[in-house]
Amino acid sequence: MKNCDSTRESLGAWLDGELDRAESEAVRVHLEGCVACKEERRQLEKLQAALKSVLDSEASRIAFPPFWSSVQQRITEKSAWREDLVDWLRSVFSGPRIAWAIPAVILLLLGVLSGDSLVSGFRNFGQRNNFASVESIDAYGRNVALLREDETKTTVIWLYQNQEGEDESTTETRPSF
Amino acid sequence: MELSDWELVQKCQSGEMSAFEDLVSRYYQKVYMVILGLLRNRDDAMEVAQETFFRAYRKIKSFQGGSSFYTWLYRIAVNIAIDTQRRQKRNPLDFRETMDEVLEEQNEVAKDPFSDVHDKELRDRLVEAINDLTPEHKAVIVLRTLEGLSYKDIGEILGCSEGTVMSRLHYARKKLQSKLGGFL
Amino acid sequence: MSQRLKQGLLFSSLTFFVAAYLRAAENSPQTVSVKIETILASNQSGEFDSRLKALEKQLRVLKYRSYRLLKEESQNVPSQGSASFEIPGGRSLIVWLQDFRNQQVALKVRLQGGQKPLLDTTIRLPNKGNFILGGPPHDGGVLVLSISANAQ
Repeated sequence: MKNCDSTRESLGAWLDGELDRAESEAVRVHLEGCVACKEERRQLEKLQAALKSVLDSEASRIAFPPFWSSVQQRITEKSAWREDLVDWLRSVFSGPRIAWAIPAVILLLLGVLSGDSLVSGFRNFGQRNNFASVESIDAYGRNVALLREDETKTTVIWLYQNQEGEDESTTETRPSF
Repeated sequence: MELSDWELVQKCQSGEMSAFEDLVSRYYQKVYMVILGLLRNRDDAMEVAQETFFRAYRKIKSFQGGSSFYTWLYRIAVNIAIDTQRRQKRNPLDFRETMDEVLEEQNEVAKDPFSDVHDKELRDRLVEAINDLTPEHKAVIVLRTLEGLSYKDIGEILGCSEGTVMSRLHYARKKLQSKLGGFL
Repeated sequence: MSQRLKQGLLFSSLTFFVAAYLRAAENSPQTVSVKIETILASNQSGEFDSRLKALEKQLRVLKYRSYRLLKEESQNVPSQGSASFEIPGGRSLIVWLQDFRNQQVALKVRLQGGQKPLLDTTIRLPNKGNFILGGPPHDGGVLVLSISANAQ
């Protein structure tokens, strides 16, 4: 016989059909006689439904042809790039080994001396976008939104209209404080 | 007659791109939905979904049919999404998707005081509550709720036991319930 | 000099200069120049101020029909120091330079209405990059501030 605590522990798995027959039956019997656990079940089911509905509507918007075209493009571009790189490396690194002794030593010395700065430098070297990291925001009780603009990855911080009408003057245009 | 996933995979492995296209058309929406559940940003989800299929294509020859194709595919998707989410967590503030959403909210507040905001509030709170979950907890919720995958399949995708899946789901649901409070 | 040896020396020279550049990039500057472009966004007309061409892509995402540059101001902010910028409508923007590391400038920014803080944010942006702060009402539209930092 299950009590409320152990029923609630198993309720999710019961709804998911993951309990064995005996456990499942015990939960079912308990639910028949317990209003509180029935309510718990209702909440869980509502939670599942809300979550599914939030995301279901998104997926149906995705058309296949442009998606497939982007995937194909990745396959083509990344494969071509890699092959070009391999060919270039092959051409550069062929030849008598002795000719590479000097640059190899220089590279080794640079690696030892530069160390961390090389790694962090390379991390930023390829940076072409405007990506900023917002570490904190305090809008003193006002609503604030964060966006990132798609192409340049610029961060946008938007301070919402203040509904309580403090000192900020309001005008009738949209949006206004 | 429709070919099975495994038959399509075998055709891919022998170089038939059209077979891979068929596989993508079967799963691209599901993969996108799972990733969207994890990342909550359409652009990032689209990017990760495309990357998922690109990596699946590169690794297709290594797929031996030991698991089902879709669990193998979801594993790739979830790993990339979790990595992306971890990188995003370093910036702890949640980004909105578009300015439309921002301006819409501003307009709603200004012009529509009598509208039923309950469902919208539930949705907003749910989004916020999901974003507060760790990547691993979010992953189990999304895979179970959206895809109805078994605990065994979820465990395979995430590389953990069924018991771990069960306890993560229980914890995640409790957390969501407590955050949604009277909205449920 | 053999062809291979020439290639080798060229390659190693390039590597040396790349490493030297990267190393130089790590040095913290004494000051960072912060520029604030104050823009009025509204739906009253369809005009886009040509002086804002460089920001066009960023501003288009805000969905307003017109954008006009009201003022542009740059100040040098010393390391661990601050600078104050006047913003229309009795507001001000105070910018503190927190640090400069790995080609990223860390700023703390406060938007004030009179003496009252409206928003504080700590943000790390790429050197020569910018971010947008918008929303306060002004003159039939809203103010949009482009805040950029250039480490010298």
